[in-house]
Amino acid sequence: MTLAIFIVIAAAIALAIILQIAVSRSLQTSRTAGLAARIQPIDVEAFRNLVDPAEDDYLRLRLPPPQFRRVRRQRLLAMAAYVKAARRNADILIRIGHAALASSDARAVQAAQQLVTEATLLRRNAALSLAKIYAAMAWPNSGPAASRVADGYERLNGSAMLLGRLQNPAVPVRLSAVLR
Amino acid sequence: MLRAHSLLWHYLWTAPNLLLAVLAALMWRRGLHKRFPVFWIYALFEAIQWAVLYPLDLLPSVAPENFWRAYWLSLLVEALVTFALVSEIFTNVLRPYPGLAQLAKLLVRWTGVLLVIVAAVTAAYAPIDNPHWLIPASHILQQAVYMIECGLVFVLFVFAAYFRLTWNRAAFGIALGLGVSSCIHLATWAVMANGGLAQRRYLLDFVNLATFHTCVLMWFYYLLIPGKATAKSALRLPEHNLEVWNRELERLLQQ
Repeated sequence: MTLAIFIVIAAAIALAIILQIAVSRSLQTSRTAGLAARIQPIDVEAFRNLVDPAEDDYLRLRLPPPQFRRVRRQRLLAMAAYVKAARRNADILIRIGHAALASSDARAVQAAQQLVTEATLLRRNAALSLAKIYAAMAWPNSGPAASRVADGYERLNGSAMLLGRLQNPAVPVRLSAVLR
Repeated sequence: MLRAHSLLWHYLWTAPNLLLAVLAALMWRRGLHKRFPVFWIYALFEAIQWAVLYPLDLLPSVAPENFWRAYWLSLLVEALVTFALVSEIFTNVLRPYPGLAQLAKLLVRWTGVLLVIVAAVTAAYAPIDNPHWLIPASHILQQAVYMIECGLVFVLFVFAAYFRLTWNRAAFGIALGLGVSSCIHLATWAVMANGGLAQRRYLLDFVNLATFHTCVLMWFYYLLIPGKATAKSALRLPEHNLEVWNRELERLLQQ
């Protein structure tokens, strides 16, 4: 009977989460206002520096192993913070993209679709990269993991800029400015 | 009232299955069976399953063993149809996101393997406490099937929520109904399969029947009643005067 209680509790938790997701989905459409203001600026150059394997090789050569591991863990933590920020921004951009899909301008819709695709891929890469970053923290001598996020983020910036230009031709690339 | 073969019991077993037959007919008329062929088969199958099992349960000439044999067989077919239905919902939700298909496939495959192992282990621990082994075996089978189904639907909801995937109304309704029914049925069949509420199992039957009825009504609502046309205005991008940052970004993009 203990097993049954355990299964009942698991089923109740699963049901609560499914219902919570269902409710939040229905509320999502009314919460698109003021989204772009929540985009967090990210210093891509600093992030690129963090994920550069040459930087790690240089530190590995210069520092004694225990100190290298400590520094590498700190760099990985910083990397994770950047990836999380990029993931949050991608989340916001997905919602902006979905809202922009209602536009009457076919080019804006196409740009919005591209933005959603890129932002979705970025969230996937961010999830995988975070897993690898946390794994690398346990083994600091392993290689860097998040270069795909940097590439993805650049493509995402491109998509966001295109959408921004199409929606507001008079004031181009505002969103990309926020992203940067 | 809350007894087997009471009026409420007859209603709860009959009404949702007749409604599903009506739903299948309406789906055919509206061409929805082309968009959700497996759900259409599922609706039809549930109605046919009822049309076979209900008289078998009521007819005194049918031996209980024969009823349980038919029930067991229908459970196996129902499980196959339900897993195909989960696959159809996954395909429907992921169609606009080809970049995520690979990850989703991998996730479903490994989650499925894990769920089958957990279902097999929990089934192995369940007692066979009835001389007619088909009865506890069917309870255990139900527990295993709903465990896998509940796990897969749960993964689908979490996956879609994480990636903020947009659902179409019908697919969302089908998935929600399936999620609610699989969670509640998993709980009730787990209690039954593990010998809980031995004297009051009819209560669990009522919970199962009422849950299924509610889910059928949900499917009616989501499949046949059109959603509110939310007039989404294209989101205006915010005013930001960050030209310096923008120049730096464009230089980086051109590298």
